[in-house]
Amino acid sequence: MDRKRVPGPELSVAPLVEYPSDFKRWTPLDEIRHDPKRQPEDMRPIYLKTGLISQANGSAYIELEKTKLACGVYGPRPVKKVGQVFSGKGVLYCEIKFATFSCAKRRTNIRDPQERELSQILSQALSPAIQLDKLPKSAIDIYITVLESDGWGSCVAAAITAASVALAHAGIEMLDLVAGCSAAYIQTGPSISSSKDSIAASRPPQIFMDADLEEEKYEQGAIVLAYMPSLNEVTHVLQSGKAEGSIISQSVEHCMEACNKIYAVMHHALLESINDNKEAL
Amino acid sequence: MALVADAVVPGQRLGHVQEFNAGVGTYSRQDFIYASVVGLKKITIENNELPTMTVERENTQSAMPDIDAIVTCKVVRVNPRFAAVNIMVVDGKPCTDDFQGIIRVQDVRATEKDKVKIYNSFRPGDIVRAQVISLGDARSYYLSTAANELGVIFGTSVAGGSLVPISWQEMQCTKTKVIELRKCAKPM
Amino acid sequence: MSSSTTTTPAAVNGLATSPAFTFSASTFQKLHPTEFFRNFVSQGVRPDGRLLSSFRPTTVHYGVITTANGSAMVRIGGTTVVCGVKAEVAEPKLDSPDQGYLVPNVDLSPICSNTFRPGPPSEQAQVVSESINRVLKESKVLDLKDLCIEEGKAVWALWIDVVCVSYDGNIYDAALASVMAALKNVRIRKPTYEEGVVKVPGGEAADDENSFKLNLARTPLSTSFVLFDTSLTLLTDPNFAEESISQGQISVTIDEQGQLCAISKVGAASSSQTLLKQCVERARKRNEELRSIMNQ
Repeated sequence: MDRKRVPGPELSVAPLVEYPSDFKRWTPLDEIRHDPKRQPEDMRPIYLKTGLISQANGSAYIELEKTKLACGVYGPRPVKKVGQVFSGKGVLYCEIKFATFSCAKRRTNIRDPQERELSQILSQALSPAIQLDKLPKSAIDIYITVLESDGWGSCVAAAITAASVALAHAGIEMLDLVAGCSAAYIQTGPSISSSKDSIAASRPPQIFMDADLEEEKYEQGAIVLAYMPSLNEVTHVLQSGKAEGSIISQSVEHCMEACNKIYAVMHHALLESINDNKEAL
Repeated sequence: MALVADAVVPGQRLGHVQEFNAGVGTYSRQDFIYASVVGLKKITIENNELPTMTVERENTQSAMPDIDAIVTCKVVRVNPRFAAVNIMVVDGKPCTDDFQGIIRVQDVRATEKDKVKIYNSFRPGDIVRAQVISLGDARSYYLSTAANELGVIFGTSVAGGSLVPISWQEMQCTKTKVIELRKCAKPM
Repeated sequence: MSSSTTTTPAAVNGLATSPAFTFSASTFQKLHPTEFFRNFVSQGVRPDGRLLSSFRPTTVHYGVITTANGSAMVRIGGTTVVCGVKAEVAEPKLDSPDQGYLVPNVDLSPICSNTFRPGPPSEQAQVVSESINRVLKESKVLDLKDLCIEEGKAVWALWIDVVCVSYDGNIYDAALASVMAALKNVRIRKPTYEEGVVKVPGGEAADDENSFKLNLARTPLSTSFVLFDTSLTLLTDPNFAEESISQGQISVTIDEQGQLCAISKVGAASSSQTLLKQCVERARKRNEELRSIMNQ
C-alpha cells in the first residue's frame, strides 16, 4: 500500500459504457479517417511553445489536438547518482510520465514498463543529436509529463519533438533538432469483414499519418520515426506489427516528409523564444 | 512579428568550410558549417584570415565549470587534506545546481606549500574565489587558490560578525576585533 | 520564461558593492539570497517588481483534459498546475455503505523544479495533499452521499490528481484552486446498477440529460503568505526564491461566504495576533478577486 499518498479505495474500476443501439462507431470500413476532415497523409495541427516551466533550464509544451504534453530540461548539472564513475561525456537521462488522468482508463502512480520503454526510446532518439562530449561529468535530465494522450505513436513522436525543442531552448549544443513523426498501417475498405477473401489480404493497407487512439485500435502495424531534418539523418525508427517491405519504406518516406513540416513549426517556436527574450529586455 | 534575419536554430547550415572558420556555437561537418545553438549568427573578419562564423547564444546554457574558469564557491567541509566546496558561480554566471569541488592542501597557495594548514586557510561557510585546475575525480572538480587574487572573499567570524581582510593571511572580525586566520583574496 | 527583473538602481548599487568586491546582481543573489532580498524589502518592493502585498497574475482554465471527468488548469505567476478528476466505481466502506470517496493527491514531479527528485512523493507533496484532503473532508465541500450508486454495493470514487507542471512557489493556493475548479467542471454519466454491474450511457456528448454535476456545498480557496526576516515582514503569494529564504508560512482558507475553513502556520517564526488578523483581512480581499477570476 502506498503510504505516501492520500489513500483511496483499494479497487476501483471504470464503469461499463453502454452504447445505444443506433450509435455508430468509427471503423476503417468507412474508408475515411476518424477525423473526417483529415486525409491519410494529414497530421493534426501542432501547437508548440517554449518557456513554460520557469525553474527549468529549457522547456517546451506541445499540443496535437488532444495529445498534450509538457517537457522540462534540467542541466547540464552535476550527476547525482551514487556509484558514479568519471566520464568525459555527459549523461542523458529521460523520464516520461503519464498523468493519472491522461488516458481513458485511470493510470496508477507506479512507473509501469510502458513508461520505461518510452523513456528509453526517447533517450536513444535524442542522444545522437546532442554534443555530449562537450559536457564532461554532467547530466542532462529530460522530464516529460503527458497530460493527455490520444494515440501511443503520436505521443512518442510529440515527446521527441518537444524534448529536442526544450534542449535547444536550454542552450545545449546540438547537431540538429530532432523531429518525431508516427504513422499507422490500417486496412481500409469493406472487404475486411468478408474475410477469408484473398483479395482482402492482397490489398495494401493505408498509411495513416499521426493516427489517433480510435484509429490505433484497428492498426496492423505502426512506425515512429525520429529524424534530423537539416542533416537528413534518421536517429531512431520503431516499427511494430506486420507490414510489407514496400509499405514500410513508403511510410518512412512519408514520415520524413512530415518531419520536415514539423521542423518548420519547431523553427518558428524557437525563433519566437528569441523574440520573447528581446521583449523582456 | 518582426523576426531577426540572423536568428538561427541548431542544425541550420551557415556556410562552407572554405568560406568561414567554425567559431563558438557552430560546428563543421562534411564541408559545411552548422549552428549548434539557438541564437544570432555573427561573422567576424580578421586580417588575412578566413572570417569566423559564430552564433551568440540566445538562451544561455546553465553555467558549468571548465578548466581555468574562475569560480565562486562556499566551503561546506574541511579536513586536514582538503576543503570541500560547493561551486555556486562560474565566470560571473550563477549555476542553477551547485557543483562539488575540493581545494587540496597543496593547492591553497603557491609558496611554502608544506606549511599550509587547511584550518588556518578556510572555515565552513566562507565564500572563496578559486580557479578550476582539473576536472578532478568522479565527484569533485579540483580547485586552486594559489594566486594573490584568489582565496576567501567573505567570511563570518566565530562571534558572528563579518570578517575584513587585514593581510594576506589574516582577517579581522568587525564586531569583536578578533583576528582569524584565512587565505585571503586580494581585493580587485 | 525570462522573469523580468525590475531593479531599482539604488538598491542594486547598494548591494552589489561590498567593501572590496563587486558582483553582478545575479551573483550576489546566489551568494547571499537573504541579504539581497533584505535590500529590496527595505525599499518596499520585491526583486520581481511586485509590492509586498501584491499577487501574481492568475488564470483559470476549465475542461483542459478531455479524458478526465473534470479538469482545470490554474496558473499563478510561474506556477502551473493541472488538476484532473476521474470517476471510477468502487465498493463502499462497510461502516459507510452510502458514501463515496474523494481522493485528492498532489504530484510534485521533477519536471516542475530542480528541487524535486524522481521517486515517491516528497514530504512537501504529502503535506499539500493532506492539507487539501482535510479541507475537502472537514469543510464538507461535497456530501459523500451524492456519490452513492447502490447502497452497500457501489459508489463513485473521485480520484482528484493534481500535476504540477511548473513550480514557482505557492503550490497550496494553486493546487486548492485547481481542485475546486476541476470539481466544478466534473460531469459524470448517470449510472444504472444491475446485478453487480454499473453501466453508464455512452455515445453522444455529456449533457444535462445523461449526466450530472457535483453539488458543491462550498468552495474554499486559500491565500498564502510567508514571513521574512526577524522583523516578520509579510510577503503575499510567495514565489520559489521567497519561499526558500522565508522564516515561516501562513495559509488562510476561506469559503465564498467569507467563513474561515482553515488557517495553517508553519515555520519557526512566531506571529502575533495582529499579524494573523492582517493575513485574514488580505485573504478575504484576495478571495473575492480569485473567485471572480474563476467565475469568468
